[in-house]
Amino acid sequence: MFKDFFFAEIRYATRQPMLYIFLLMMTLLVFGATASDNIVIGGAVGNVFKNAPHVITQFTVIMTIFGLLMATAYFNTAALKDYNSQFNEILFSTPLSKAGYFFGRFFGALVLATIPMLGVFLGVFLGAILGPAFGWVDADRFGPYFLETFLNNYLLFILPNMFFAGAIVFALATHWKSTVISFVGALAIIIAYIVAGTLMSDIDNETIGALLDSFGVRAYSFSAKYFTPIEKNTLSPSFGGILLLNRVIWITVGAIILGVSYFSFSFQQKNKKVKAQKEEKKEKASLRTKPQVQPVFASGSGWVQFKSFFYTNFLSIAKSATFRVLFLFSLIILIANLFGGFESYGLQSYPVTYKMIDLISGASGIFIIIILVFFSGELVWRDRDSHIHEVVDATPHASTISLSAKVLSLITLTSLLNLFFVFCAVIYQLVMGFTRIELHVYLIDFLLTSFPIYVIWSGVMIMIQVILNNKYVGYFASILIIFLWSLVMVALDLQSNMLSIGSGPSVMYSDMNGFGAGFNGRLWFNLYWFLFSFICIIVASAMWSRGTASSIKERAKHASHKLSKATKAFTVVLVIAFIGTGGFVYYNTQVLNPYKTTDQLEALTAAFEKKYKHYEGIAMPKVKDVKYDISIYPETRTVQVIADILYKNETGVPIDTLHFNIDKNWNPTFEIPNCELVFNDEEMGWMKYAVNPPLLPGDSVLARIKTAYEPKGFENEVGNTSVAKNGTFLNNFQIIPSLGYDPNSELSDNNTRKKYGLAKKSRMPELQANCDETCQSNYLSNGRADYVMVETIISTAGDQIAVSPGTLVKQWEENGRNYFQYKLDHPAQNFYSFISARYEVARKTWNGIDLEVYYDAKHEVNVEMMLAAVERSLAYYTENFGPYYQKQCRIIEFPRYASFAQAFPGTMPYSESIGFVTNLENEEDNNIIDAVIAHEMAHQWWAHQVVGANMQGGTMMSESFAEYSSLMTMKKMNDDPMKMREFLKYNHNRYLRGRSQEVDKEVPLYKVENQPHIHYGKGSLILFALQDYIGEEKVNLAMRNYLDEFKHVGPPYSTSLDFMKHLEPQVPDSLNYLITDWFEEITLYDNRVTEASSRKLENGKYELTMKIESNKIKADTLGNETKVPMNDWIDIGILDAEEENLVYCKRVKIDQPQMTFSFELDNPPAKAAIDPRRLLIDRVFDDNIKVVSTE
Amino acid sequence: MNKLTIQNLSKTYPNGVKALDNVSIEIENGMFGLLGPNGAGKSSLMRTIATLQEADSGTATLNEIDIFSQPHELRKVLGYLPQEFGVYPKITAEQLLDHLAILKGITNSKERKELVGYLLEKVNLYNDRKKSVKGFSGGMKQRVGIAQALIGSPKLIIVDEPTAGLDPGERNRFYNLLADVGKDVIVILSTHIVDDVRELCTQMAIMSTGQLVFHGAPQTAIDELSGKVYQKVVERDELNQYATNYSIISNKMVGGKPFIHIYSDTDPKEGFEPVKPNLEDVFFSKINTENVLV
Repeated sequence: MFKDFFFAEIRYATRQPMLYIFLLMMTLLVFGATASDNIVIGGAVGNVFKNAPHVITQFTVIMTIFGLLMATAYFNTAALKDYNSQFNEILFSTPLSKAGYFFGRFFGALVLATIPMLGVFLGVFLGAILGPAFGWVDADRFGPYFLETFLNNYLLFILPNMFFAGAIVFALATHWKSTVISFVGALAIIIAYIVAGTLMSDIDNETIGALLDSFGVRAYSFSAKYFTPIEKNTLSPSFGGILLLNRVIWITVGAIILGVSYFSFSFQQKNKKVKAQKEEKKEKASLRTKPQVQPVFASGSGWVQFKSFFYTNFLSIAKSATFRVLFLFSLIILIANLFGGFESYGLQSYPVTYKMIDLISGASGIFIIIILVFFSGELVWRDRDSHIHEVVDATPHASTISLSAKVLSLITLTSLLNLFFVFCAVIYQLVMGFTRIELHVYLIDFLLTSFPIYVIWSGVMIMIQVILNNKYVGYFASILIIFLWSLVMVALDLQSNMLSIGSGPSVMYSDMNGFGAGFNGRLWFNLYWFLFSFICIIVASAMWSRGTASSIKERAKHASHKLSKATKAFTVVLVIAFIGTGGFVYYNTQVLNPYKTTDQLEALTAAFEKKYKHYEGIAMPKVKDVKYDISIYPETRTVQVIADILYKNETGVPIDTLHFNIDKNWNPTFEIPNCELVFNDEEMGWMKYAVNPPLLPGDSVLARIKTAYEPKGFENEVGNTSVAKNGTFLNNFQIIPSLGYDPNSELSDNNTRKKYGLAKKSRMPELQANCDETCQSNYLSNGRADYVMVETIISTAGDQIAVSPGTLVKQWEENGRNYFQYKLDHPAQNFYSFISARYEVARKTWNGIDLEVYYDAKHEVNVEMMLAAVERSLAYYTENFGPYYQKQCRIIEFPRYASFAQAFPGTMPYSESIGFVTNLENEEDNNIIDAVIAHEMAHQWWAHQVVGANMQGGTMMSESFAEYSSLMTMKKMNDDPMKMREFLKYNHNRYLRGRSQEVDKEVPLYKVENQPHIHYGKGSLILFALQDYIGEEKVNLAMRNYLDEFKHVGPPYSTSLDFMKHLEPQVPDSLNYLITDWFEEITLYDNRVTEASSRKLENGKYELTMKIESNKIKADTLGNETKVPMNDWIDIGILDAEEENLVYCKRVKIDQPQMTFSFELDNPPAKAAIDPRRLLIDRVFDDNIKVVSTE
Repeated sequence: MNKLTIQNLSKTYPNGVKALDNVSIEIENGMFGLLGPNGAGKSSLMRTIATLQEADSGTATLNEIDIFSQPHELRKVLGYLPQEFGVYPKITAEQLLDHLAILKGITNSKERKELVGYLLEKVNLYNDRKKSVKGFSGGMKQRVGIAQALIGSPKLIIVDEPTAGLDPGERNRFYNLLADVGKDVIVILSTHIVDDVRELCTQMAIMSTGQLVFHGAPQTAIDELSGKVYQKVVERDELNQYATNYSIISNKMVGGKPFIHIYSDTDPKEGFEPVKPNLEDVFFSKINTENVLV
């Protein structure tokens, strides 16, 4: 019996096109991702093959989420087929076995549901064959296949996921007998997945997150998160660890659901519950006479009809179960986002308005699109589905009215949904004690971004439904347009927002700068799209199939006389307005502000390299001294710069030509004595000035360069966010053309380079000792400057403060504008910021140094903390590293268009989004402000006083040292090893994750190639561990000695080898291996406690015995690992149960892979640990700690 | 006096079916019955008059209104109950009629409330007005449909198979209602129930395969047949024999044996006895011109 139903199920489906369509879809998606670099699903980077086991596994797990909807179709059909065809009464009255029927159907559907997923494998195979064959992707991007990749993926992901989802859908379908509820069930599984993801967004909760995910996506990424490229290329998902546990959990849950469903399933139909009807009082009908009512068709009656249409349509959506379910889902996601969701270091921001706005659009976005797609179909088909269309169509109303009412009811409903979410967000803000409620910001943002989207898509989708005149084809077309159109635009290399329905320049609200530079453009784009939507409604009215359905052609023929004269006139006006607006938008975005598409830019960069690369080594003078005169006009977003630059020939040869890189947006003009423009490549931005007589070695020339940024109209995208009405933030590289060829602006991805026939590019020159020649330039300035003196006169609007580097020499007002004159106190790197905004200023002095925080009036809360952080870091650094050479430390807030802090001499611009709004009220939390400020402050030593040569290892002395310094100020403030461990955790994660995504090769720390995960993550960990092993003062001394030798010196610049020379004397011989292991090679540890037990001794003390396992692993640049013998010192210790205190700690010598230690303690031990403070880099730290069992 | 004039109306569906074949007719105030078997083109004709379908050729006017070029004007004076009348879910009878009344131009809310109340009472649904129409029985729904067709002051009322699903009592009430309004306006009643037409209509037409095969007063038609219809009970196996020899109008079973009506200008003898023709004989004689067994 089972067999009959099982095979019947499969036989039936294999004869239907749906199975093949699903299979084809999956195959095509994965094929696209494999055979091209444009479509990205998970995907491969760098050395990871495009068909690596890891990549195939990622495809599989991600696709099972989509596969869920296909599975729903099969399980739902399997459960409901007999009911829907009303065959059930015949079938169930035959003597058939319940188990055979139930499970036959279920497992038949299960097998079917897994078939489309095989498209993932097919897609990879096809992609691997066709990609190289057609030259889309190089053959060397593909590696070998492993049978177990496919087998394990099928058994670990495809089958269990379809089983679990199938059990739920099948259970729902057999119980409720409703397709809608089945799909709601599928949606609920996805929602649960998303919600669990949000709540688990911090690494503290990763394990729970990995277990809670019913798809196993997070369990897999958790187990594979630190995979190196070589592991990604060879390892298939395996039956073990957290992944297996996850699978077992969810298969069990699925089986239980299926079991319950089976036992409650019966062939007999349940008696429908009938609601007891309320006894109704029969009203005595008065015998009415026929009222004398005459229809009125005046100008107002259209409005009354419109209202009535609107009202009935609106109610029909609002009352529908689908809408309520979608509404509930998005509400759940919003709430999960509000309460969960961490930004960095386990911290959350204050609920500022822009954060709420982002959360609302995140929670509602996809659901509102679903609502628009679904209900546009429902509304268009409502009359016909209810079989009332003939009556309604025969009433004297204009089709425009009924369709506009449909559109408006969609818009109103989605708008109400959005506004309700705003209401929730405001309530949340108040509950959290945040009282700066900015209703107007919510409202403007809504009107500017969400509302237009609703209007546009409602109109477009109604039109699609009307024209296609088939609900499901209409749905399909709508979804296609939403999702595929953007892909088509990418494929055709189109980036105009005029072609991307509903798009426009982004408006990102900033507390400082409001809606920013995109505001006007967005308004025009909105108008353009509004008109487009209205035209869609009119087209829909004309094409509306009123009465009996007829073909598109026939409707098109009669279209024009379906519109009234007035409507026709209105249409003409609309079309003229649309063309006019479109023309205006086109003029602004294509003519006034032409732009290059991504592909064009890439090609241009490649062409630029081919044309000008030969200038790379030519002799160019250096910038020695600069006087800026900068005028900022915030209202018009205009900046004018006059820079007097002293260029000096420090090379040994005469220079007869100056080469400039030109940024057209800044429109530079040059006044250079004895120079003449001899070459101008406007397209690529390259100018040559002949110097006559040539600039001899040691000679200088004072050049005056004028640049100006003047925005014209509005742009396709938001445009230049550096110049803002409130919060201009520029640096010297943006405003002044640079000299000569800069290899840093070349295409860096070697796969892309290959496409353009460019040679492979190494990230950085090889590390060299004794490098007089090669150490001429540091990694910051491309050899165009060393230490530079700067003086600035900067002016801005009367209500703003402008800041540039150095001491404020003079300040005055002139013509209602503020003028400031700044002068550096000590030469520094040629890297300056120029900032202007309406600031409040908090000041403090510390040992003659002015500490200043320039902040927006709304962001006062953390300012005191910032000043204290500056003070603390100054104290530590001056004591340990040496004097501070500037006379001020400024922290200056800038709008959230970027979220970083950056160190310029004495000046640290700091984004409004990362420190100013972070909630640090809980003192137990990691203090990110301290960390970031300490890091940037440290750059005043490590980067501005000493900077590495432009070669491998160069960034160690700035970024690793700064991050280490930051850790040390943290440690000084709060010397609690467990708190430090909390903080180090993020650096461990940063390094291990970073190396797993390495695109080229991993290098040891002293050869770091400007890779953030190595110089920030690993560098700080190693230096921090080192100070623990050899002593804080020793490490600091090595750093100070190095600094003293190379401070403000160069060229030649120092290298990491120079630092190593200073470090070596500080390291005792017994620990010399640390330099090799940590700096010169790639070393990982695999430590664990295998057993831990304690025994109460007769003297009342406790004896703890712990067995540990310890391995030292060396990795090569690709991630191949080898175990090496150990003879290392590692901590072992005791933690309390909450892991809040380190009760006991002892450094022991480990020379065997397995060792046992025992020691006496006063109190009963809770947890035993190896490396309890997490000093060493260990991919799995959890097993370093074990709960102590008592004997 | 209203006057509906239809001239040379033709309509061919894309699948080649000729729904209307050169139909011309004039209809004035009063009940007008449109008879015809299924697929004769009744509904096509009615939908065309109700502006829901375009014709390939021909004209149709109501008084001064050209139905094809001024559909909107016609809709203002039209009451229409289609063959298939469904209702929205989650809406009460009162709300539905209110909405439709607005669409028909009853924009004054007080007047509308009065009118809807009156109509509900007329169709005997006043007590159920607050209930969801979706839950109504077929007959109740049909009554709602009738009520909506009477909204406003239609000059032309088209009702397509209105009595399907009504019990005899409801049917009587409905016809009384129609007869009431039908005095001053044109009421076109499409049906395949011959009795309905006999009872109600002063004028009638019979359609078959898209053509108008008869137009006139029911009594005229019956009179035309007078003395030309004969009946006989025959054996079943003789039926084909009779079909070839006589012009059979209809046959039905009585007591297990075929009971046939034939058309004959003279007395056929052979056991046939003359019978007083009824409208059914007219109907069958008009549509069964080939005299095949039906």
